[in-house]
Amino acid sequence: MSAPVIEISGLRKTFRDFWFRPVAEAVNGIDLVVEKGDVFGLLGPNGSGKSTTIKMVLGLLAPTGGSVKIFGLPPRSRAARARLGYLPELSYLHPFLTARETVMYYAGLSDLDRRTAKARTAELIEQVGLAENANRPVGGFSKGMARRVAFASALVSRPELLILDEPTSGLDPIGTREVKELIRRLAADGLTILVTSHQLFDMQDVCSRVAILSHGKVVGSGRVEDIVAAAADKRHALEDYFVERLGIQ
Amino acid sequence: MKASFILAWRALVRSHVLTLLLVATALAHAFLPALVRSDGTSAGWREMFVRAVPGAAYVFIAVTILACACGFFAQERERFRLSLTVVRPASAFGVALGKWLALCAVAAVALVFSAAITAFRLSDAPRCLHHHSPALPPAAECARSALAAYLADPKTPEAVRRAPRAAVLSLLTNKELDRYDVVRSGESFAWPFDASLASEPGLAVRARFATQFEVRSPFAGEFAFGGRTAPVAHSTQSSIDVPLAAATNAPAGQASSATLDLVFKNTGREIVMLRPRRDLELLTPADAFCWNLARATLQMLSTMAILAAFGMFLSAAVSRPVALFTAIVAVIVTMMAPSVVAQFPDEMNTKFTERFGLAISRAICTVTSTVSESEPISDLATDTCIEWLALARSIAVNVFALPAALLAASAFIVRRKPLAENS
Ligand SMILES: Nc1ncnc2c1ncn2[C@@H]1O[C@H](COP(=O)(O)OP(=O)(O)OP(=O)(O)O)[C@@H](O)[C@H]1O
Ligand SMILES: [Mg+2]
Repeated sequence: MSAPVIEISGLRKTFRDFWFRPVAEAVNGIDLVVEKGDVFGLLGPNGSGKSTTIKMVLGLLAPTGGSVKIFGLPPRSRAARARLGYLPELSYLHPFLTARETVMYYAGLSDLDRRTAKARTAELIEQVGLAENANRPVGGFSKGMARRVAFASALVSRPELLILDEPTSGLDPIGTREVKELIRRLAADGLTILVTSHQLFDMQDVCSRVAILSHGKVVGSGRVEDIVAAAADKRHALEDYFVERLGIQ
Repeated sequence: MKASFILAWRALVRSHVLTLLLVATALAHAFLPALVRSDGTSAGWREMFVRAVPGAAYVFIAVTILACACGFFAQERERFRLSLTVVRPASAFGVALGKWLALCAVAAVALVFSAAITAFRLSDAPRCLHHHSPALPPAAECARSALAAYLADPKTPEAVRRAPRAAVLSLLTNKELDRYDVVRSGESFAWPFDASLASEPGLAVRARFATQFEVRSPFAGEFAFGGRTAPVAHSTQSSIDVPLAAATNAPAGQASSATLDLVFKNTGREIVMLRPRRDLELLTPADAFCWNLARATLQMLSTMAILAAFGMFLSAAVSRPVALFTAIVAVIVTMMAPSVVAQFPDEMNTKFTERFGLAISRAICTVTSTVSESEPISDLATDTCIEWLALARSIAVNVFALPAALLAASAFIVRRKPLAENS
């Protein structure tokens, strides 16, 4: 049996100020396992520690306690980094690059050879619907267009694990639907996806499993199928579950 | 590395940094020559021109490169882009190297542009000159043997014996560097030089007379070296070059040994004083001005390389304004440290705090010596040949060794420092 894609145990993160005084207990003992092929929804209200958890999974922040393993490897190892793609909460792009150059840049950082990188970039630009704007500087892009560029950049290295921090924030209903479509298609291709969001309605459609975070703790988790099966109102099953679990706290 | 080079190059080109450098260089070459005042000689005009025009362009390019370098990582971090780079498998050192190479490439384009205009303008400049100092033992060695002699002498006061050895040695070294040889009226004095110089065509003597006290008393005399002689008589200029011409009646000298004496015979009425380590050189023609310009450009580029690496290192560690401030302070300290050290020759009579400051200044001098010792602009201005060996040394240190260490350190910091993302 191979290692789970993500294995988090006893994870904690305390932010400290310059004088080393604790300012925020962002993550407070989380245990999670994400298996291959999961679309795992990390849900929770604002400030519950979702982004912080993701940054520790990516190795961008050092945990205060506990451990994170990706594919059984430490997140900062090169082998682990080679297998993941990351879409941050906001699309931080280099404004002077065009969409194509941006994707090519991230392809270059992922050690793709030039031919593959070019082909892959063209394919992804097409896929995210930016073909007409591929040669415009991204500095002038709208939020949704920028998000598409970021999406293409995250996918360019053909990651096995995709980490999406609020992929639908700031998108219009059509954009949201396209993102959901994309997630479903990638999941069907066998990608493992870790996604955070506030849009419970959308998450119910795409996630296979969810965990609810509150104040840096997991207050509920399970398979979406089971949650829906147990719910009275099938359409709002996840929302009701979310409210119920937070209510307990 | 390639991806980050392309990214940084595009950033510098598309944010018009390169354009700015080229335009500023062109403007300097267009307007600054009008301000150049010279002493009327073409050498004097050339010296002032080189210091004012390519010199100004050099300083401007250096400041711009440093400012850009100070923003490289800091800006990426402040705009949250660094996290997208470090989650990729590319090595952080490779990323840093790519950025640094892009900065060096931009600096190179601007410097070559400036050099090309300079070469065009000074196409009639004469060859540059090799400088040869007297073949004396190193000053520090003289100081050591002088100290040994002092200590062996029973009459030496107790205070000298108890003084810190390093302080006494540096005092004696400075004394040796500034030692005057006195040539009385009607007498001669000889200094050893490399004997192989005797066969060099176009040999000349450069002498600076009594520069320390600005006494420019009239003097007259004759230099002789390996069968060639040069009469001198002067009263106004403090530094003069005199070509040595073959003289039939002069003795051929002791050509068999490794050194050959340069003899000065004082035929005037005044005493002549010369510091052999500062005031006396033999000059031989080297290669064309353009070659020297090319070497000067390489030396300037090696300074840019170290500045870029240093700025990037700072920007990996701290925010852009702090990096910029630190970099400017460091540059000023680097430029001032040698004169601080030089102006405190009498170390034994200073207070502890002053000695402490001196020790720090001396440490800075040691660390930054390869940067501060290379003076491409003043060498170029004074027709001094930049020797290949010195150039190779400054490239080895400023382009390879130090930047490699600084970039490795910045890569380490980039990986370790939590990204200041607060979302
Ligand atoms: N760099 C930081 N320094 C100090 N505190 C921080 C930092 N980053 C996050 N926090 C704190 O940690 C807690 C969790 O933040 P986090 O960004 O993980 O929440 P989130 O679940 O992603 O919220 P949102 O839904 O608003 O994105 C918050 O209380 C936040 O203030
Ligand atoms: Mg968040």
